[in-house]
Amino acid sequence: MIDPRLTVIGRRLAPVRRILAFASAKGGVGKSVCSALAALALADSGRRAGLLDLDFQGASAHLLLGAQLGFPEEAAGIKPLRVRDKLDFMSFAAFSRERAVPLRGPEVTEALVELLAITIWDPLDFLIVDMPPGIGDELLDVLRLLERPEFVVVATPSALSLRVVERLLALLVELRLPIRGLLENMARPGISSDGGPVLELAARFQLPVLGSIPWLPEVEDLLAGPNPLAGPLGPPIRGVLRRLTDGSDSS
Amino acid sequence: MHEWALAEAVVATVEKIRQENGGGRVLAVRVRIGELQKISPEAFQEGLRASLAGRPYGAEVFAFLDDPAVFRCRLCAREWPLAGVPELGEEEREAVHFLPEAAHVYLRCPGCGSPDFDLTAGRGVTIEAVDLESA
Repeated sequence: MIDPRLTVIGRRLAPVRRILAFASAKGGVGKSVCSALAALALADSGRRAGLLDLDFQGASAHLLLGAQLGFPEEAAGIKPLRVRDKLDFMSFAAFSRERAVPLRGPEVTEALVELLAITIWDPLDFLIVDMPPGIGDELLDVLRLLERPEFVVVATPSALSLRVVERLLALLVELRLPIRGLLENMARPGISSDGGPVLELAARFQLPVLGSIPWLPEVEDLLAGPNPLAGPLGPPIRGVLRRLTDGSDSS
Repeated sequence: MHEWALAEAVVATVEKIRQENGGGRVLAVRVRIGELQKISPEAFQEGLRASLAGRPYGAEVFAFLDDPAVFRCRLCAREWPLAGVPELGEEEREAVHFLPEAAHVYLRCPGCGSPDFDLTAGRGVTIEAVDLESA
């Protein structure tokens, strides 16, 4: 049996200039928050931005963005959903709504291949991929199926999180994959990037720290609010994007 | 008509295989159509014809085989066909049509109620064989 879908994934993503996979081997570090923030900030800066939520079993990007998901529109494939009038968005949650998604590994792969094969992305400057935690099927499939993912590794200052993130960094380095840097989330005064443990880990891998998103108890409310970048989240995420987009694109 | 994307994938794959094998004539292509995805044959044929424009072979080389969906529970080992599944609502059918893995969201084993089942056959569109003229 031949799977015809694999042949078209490259052409489906051809209109996307850069694919940034926000990954972390550790759960709960805020990959979805950082992904959603980055995608919104890119769109706000006039760039054509998309967000692909690959955390099938724990899809939450749509909740963070306060998006009401309907079925995607069909057009020789399916069109990404439009979120907040400026962001192209795709998620398993468009099909599962708020129900549990009990999938085993091969089913995750099937769903991922299907979504990549039938989603017709418009030209984008950036597609942000919100990765699930771990080094499992989704990450391995991203490595197998996407030609040029660049990794943004999300970490918190927690010693436990950093130990787990370190393993992912070691793997990505071993595989010679492009890592654009570490993004510190839940940064707190005293243990933030300025000499803190995230900076230390980044230095060991000779990687930049792209920035620090502060720990804010109200982060989910801010994100789902009408203008998430107007408050304290705006300056740090814009700083991250400046480092990520430096000289690589134009709006 | 997301069937067009799948039809395009089939034609692109046939063309890739043809080119990798010297670019000869395509004699026959056998495509299995999984029951679970419930693709529209008309929409798929339309997409196929659109993707075949300019190719040295037409829709007549394609043969379609129905692939009945069969589920097997990983807990109680029960097997059942799609016909044995309670009718889904329109939104749920639509979700499975777009993304067959949504079946694990909406279907349960009729024996034990588990969502942990294998779809052993009949998922979606696959190519069974591409016959090319020998050089």
